[in-house]
Amino acid sequence: MTLRDVPVVGDLLEAGAEDRVFDVLLLGGPLLILVIAIVGRSPLTSGGAIIYLLSFSSYILYRGAQS
Amino acid sequence: MNEAMETISRDLGRMFLALAGLLFVSLLVPIVWGEYWAIPALIVSGLLPLGIGSLLTSTFREATQPGKLHGMIIAATGWFCVALFGSVPFLLIAWTVELGLPVLETPAQTETLAAFTNPINAVFESMSGFTGTGLTMTDNEEVLPRTLQWWRSFIEWVGGVGVIVLTTAILARPGSGSLTLYESEARSERIHPSVVSTVQTIWWIFLLFTFVSILLLWVVGMPLWGAINHAMTGLSTGGFSITDNSIATYDSAAIDFALLPIMLLGSIAFPVHYLILQGDLRNLYTDLQTRWIFLYMGAGTIVLTALVYVNATYETLFSAFRYSSFQFVSAATCAGFQTAVDSTNVALGRWPAQAQLTVTFGMIVGGAAGSTVGGIKLIRALTLLKGIRFRIADVFYPKTAVRRLKINGRRLDEREVRQEFEEAAIIGFLWFVFLGIGMFVLLLILPQGEYTLENIIFEVASAQGNVGLSAGITGPESLPTLGKLMFLFNMWIGRLEIIPVLVTLRALFRRGGIYQ
Repeated sequence: MTLRDVPVVGDLLEAGAEDRVFDVLLLGGPLLILVIAIVGRSPLTSGGAIIYLLSFSSYILYRGAQS
Repeated sequence: MNEAMETISRDLGRMFLALAGLLFVSLLVPIVWGEYWAIPALIVSGLLPLGIGSLLTSTFREATQPGKLHGMIIAATGWFCVALFGSVPFLLIAWTVELGLPVLETPAQTETLAAFTNPINAVFESMSGFTGTGLTMTDNEEVLPRTLQWWRSFIEWVGGVGVIVLTTAILARPGSGSLTLYESEARSERIHPSVVSTVQTIWWIFLLFTFVSILLLWVVGMPLWGAINHAMTGLSTGGFSITDNSIATYDSAAIDFALLPIMLLGSIAFPVHYLILQGDLRNLYTDLQTRWIFLYMGAGTIVLTALVYVNATYETLFSAFRYSSFQFVSAATCAGFQTAVDSTNVALGRWPAQAQLTVTFGMIVGGAAGSTVGGIKLIRALTLLKGIRFRIADVFYPKTAVRRLKINGRRLDEREVRQEFEEAAIIGFLWFVFLGIGMFVLLLILPQGEYTLENIIFEVASAQGNVGLSAGITGPESLPTLGKLMFLFNMWIGRLEIIPVLVTLRALFRRGGIYQ
């Protein structure tokens, strides 16, 4: 069984970015928000959010530099 | 029933089904927050469009595909009906608390929630939400149940992209007349040849940006529930808030500045976002509208900062810049978040007249076509400016000269120039006509001397531009019923760029035999 076989996740990937990094960000975003909702503000969740934001912006710049 | 009515009914039914889906998804919120008393109201609100939608779609399943006229009527009536059905949760939740049914253990009634027991206030809030306006009938959003806070944010988030775009993404199949409907909802740009693929791409971009915005706001210090709601309403440039004084409640420069890129993202066209995400960063300056967004937001901020600083509205240059940049970007992106309020600094309605009119200018022009913003749109304003220059320069050329007008990388011939200029001029003209009508109505019904003329221009431009900034006129008590009805119309035509609504009204009057 792959990720594409999971309901909702499969649909999201099917209609999604067709790019692994963006797909990971699309799937990881709500999970991270859920963790923040449960755990609250902590060094771990703050770090996770900052890494998410940095991954998003640096990946766009990386793609820009590549093209 | 004739063929056209069958087509319109079938497609309206699809929109109602999508709306029912939104309401049932929202059931998660009262469950998570323990507002169990709100669940019956939400279920009834969802069953209503579900029942009517199922009936219409199944009865007229075999109806023909929509043409251009049908598309416009479906868009106009669909948005109106969706706003009507979307008001039911406000009405039912307010009445659930008002009646205080003991079985449901409802909380105490508040003045803010009680305003929604009046159906006009509920419809106003719903129309304001779906059209991404953000003008509100609430006095204090903080005391609203979380369910309604969420519903307000959710309808703005969906409305920002478009109800038809949502319906197409979920329910439409390729070749089912989706293109006609898509174009009727004030959209024309396509990312892929297929409309269904285009709307799916729009949705994943929008989802991704929403997650990024939520996390950005949370990182700079906003509580998570606020970050979720404000990210949704900021990105969709809707502007509803869950706090009493909008963003001013946080009184944080970091939050103010973090919201600037979020609102700007909402004002850039989705096809440009797609290209940028693909790595083609040149679009930030090669695309005409995107380039002008940065130019005119920058220029507007500088002018506004100078005006409020020179007039001593703010004591320091930093404060003048902070509030001016936020308010101009908020106005020009049609988000409508407010940081200039009396509780923390100086309310917008008390800014110098020239500063208020500068903000009004931003609201009228708006951002890029193909984004989530309202207003006339940058491309039309630029087409008008370039078209006027082209016409004037024409006198200096011989009659036989073959001239081309270059707009956004396209070289238009005489016929194309006339067509594009005509469309921009018609919408621009109608925009100002309805702005004038709205001002006239407000001048008639508001108490003499209570508001200045610039306050009234500001408020009507805000409603029609789907912005949501307020000079203090809009409110459950301060705005008379006729004014609420006028604003409902302003918000409706503003979101659909006027023409589909006028076409629908004409079709109604003609077919209804009112003036035949």
